[in-house]
Amino acid sequence: MAGQGASEPALFTELEVEFMAEDESINIVPNVRMDTLNMICGDYGPFRPQIPVTVPLWLGIAMKKRSKCRIQPPDWMSVERLSEVLEMEREAPREFQPLPFHYVEIAKLLLDNAREDFENNYMVQSLLEDIKDVRWDKVEKGLKNLSGRTHAVKLKNISAMEVNRMRTFTVRALQSFFKHDNDDMMKQTPTDSDSQSTPSSSDRLPRRTLRPR
Amino acid sequence: MANYYDIHDILMQDENVSTVFLHKANGAGFLDPSSEDNNVARGSVVDLPLWLAQDLVQRQIVHVKLPSCFNARVRKEVQADPACIDLRSKCPFYYEMGCKLVELNVDPTLGPYLLDTLRGRYKDLLCKALTATLTGNPKFVPLLTEEETRLFEAGRDSMKAFKKWRLQGPRLERAAILGRKRTRDPTPIWS
Amino acid sequence: MDSGNGSEDGTPWGRGDGQGDDDDNNRDWGLKDIPNDVEVLKRVWRNEKSAPEILAYESLLVERVQEQIANMEENILAAAESLDDMMLSIFEMDVNRLMFLLRAYLRVRLSKIDKFALHVMRTADLWDRLSPQEQEYASKFVDVLSKHMHDSVLGKLEKEYESMMKQAASSEENDMIVEPNLDTYVFCRSKTALGTFQLDDKGDETVDMMPNDLYILRYRPVRNLIETDRIELV
Repeated sequence: MAGQGASEPALFTELEVEFMAEDESINIVPNVRMDTLNMICGDYGPFRPQIPVTVPLWLGIAMKKRSKCRIQPPDWMSVERLSEVLEMEREAPREFQPLPFHYVEIAKLLLDNAREDFENNYMVQSLLEDIKDVRWDKVEKGLKNLSGRTHAVKLKNISAMEVNRMRTFTVRALQSFFKHDNDDMMKQTPTDSDSQSTPSSSDRLPRRTLRPR
Repeated sequence: MANYYDIHDILMQDENVSTVFLHKANGAGFLDPSSEDNNVARGSVVDLPLWLAQDLVQRQIVHVKLPSCFNARVRKEVQADPACIDLRSKCPFYYEMGCKLVELNVDPTLGPYLLDTLRGRYKDLLCKALTATLTGNPKFVPLLTEEETRLFEAGRDSMKAFKKWRLQGPRLERAAILGRKRTRDPTPIWS
Repeated sequence: MDSGNGSEDGTPWGRGDGQGDDDDNNRDWGLKDIPNDVEVLKRVWRNEKSAPEILAYESLLVERVQEQIANMEENILAAAESLDDMMLSIFEMDVNRLMFLLRAYLRVRLSKIDKFALHVMRTADLWDRLSPQEQEYASKFVDVLSKHMHDSVLGKLEKEYESMMKQAASSEENDMIVEPNLDTYVFCRSKTALGTFQLDDKGDETVDMMPNDLYILRYRPVRNLIETDRIELV
């Protein structure tokens, strides 16, 4: 009950966002033979050596960690494609380029665990960092433009991790402006200078019937 | 819509405001250190905490004067260089107090002034929150009001958390063998 | 096999997430159409976490999920001998992931009940959103809280001030009950174009929601879009 004003922790932690990203699909090339996996989240397989198969990211990483497969880098993570995206991000300063919603998390998980499966992994990483930076700059710029009551903000093509990073600050800022920029606060007509009216209904005073004097 | 337990609200309402008594108040001399008998004379100027002042306004017993931190001179100072002003020392609950005073109809120009002040300081606050270094509080933080501090912390903590996640390497996984708490059933049946 | 909730060309939506589990009718689902409960629960959890107030309890979904977890655990147990370590640990991961989602969902609801117990109990609409177990929990919680408040403070005050809900007996409203802030802002998106949607009473503020784009909106005006599953919170 108490303490709601105190600094609240973030809504979703980075690990929770990563958890949600782990359901995204990736292609792997197994080096073992395994029967079809009938799991709650779906059926995957059968797994045959050297035959690519699509699996959820968490499964692919788990197998990779046990050296049972290699990862097929997703098309969007190629140097060519990322370079294109970076260029377009730079050229269109008010838009975000389409990228997988969980691109940040997917890239991190893949590069952390399967770096060797990427040719030019250093270049890929570097391009991704640049893309992230350019996009984040756009987020900051957008945030700077908040200056009053905002009824809607549109974020086309933004990604999950970017949302998470900006969430707490943005929500608080929007709330502050909402609180200050509304009709009740802006009433310009001076009231009778001798009397101050009773507070409006949104006041937190204990409302009670006043005893007659 | 009660914020009964909100600590910031409670602290804010503890701040004093200057009030003018519209009527004589018998027996209330303890409120006014300058009263000689046990009464408060009509027209006396008495400092009261906001929670008491607003109740008395409701009963039309007092009139709240605009606190000095919102007067014309201060407003000019703030408007000249909003980002660098030490609002906290004027009133740590600058905005909240201001909003409450607007509700009490103390000054109709107060609302727009508060919005402008927020706007003026917001951009600067944003920059600093998102680029704050991770160690200790930068030296401008003591200049921020409570509300601004919370905004600043929200930005800074988000950045901190993201950086921490980004730098963390591949997570260690608990070995599967440790997770297996189940007893071994000698007759395997796939249903 | 179409499985994830996002394809690689940037569209954040996977295959049919289905309309949730709120339909009791016996629709004839083809095997492909059956929504993956993992995806549905994930979305339900996200909505619940982002919304300031408690949302309707997804009882059918929770039941199905619990059943699937139980079945899978049984299967794992039964097959423990015959499967190799990796396959077993993969099956366990699958179950653990779903269990995490289920627990997270129930936990976030409990934390809302903790914060707003009195308010929930006094608002029929909100009370109906609780599961029977949650209602029991809420009642017990309020009992314990009342007793504690009474024993530590309220019982020692004058009769007029001993309520946990009103500051004084003469208060007109229950001004001590904490309510969720419905004017907070949430991140949301919709699957379909919703057309122009009005956000305020006067009609000055509207938003034209396009499919799959993210919007930051105030929660209050879009509450029932969430209830009717036309938008989801992110």
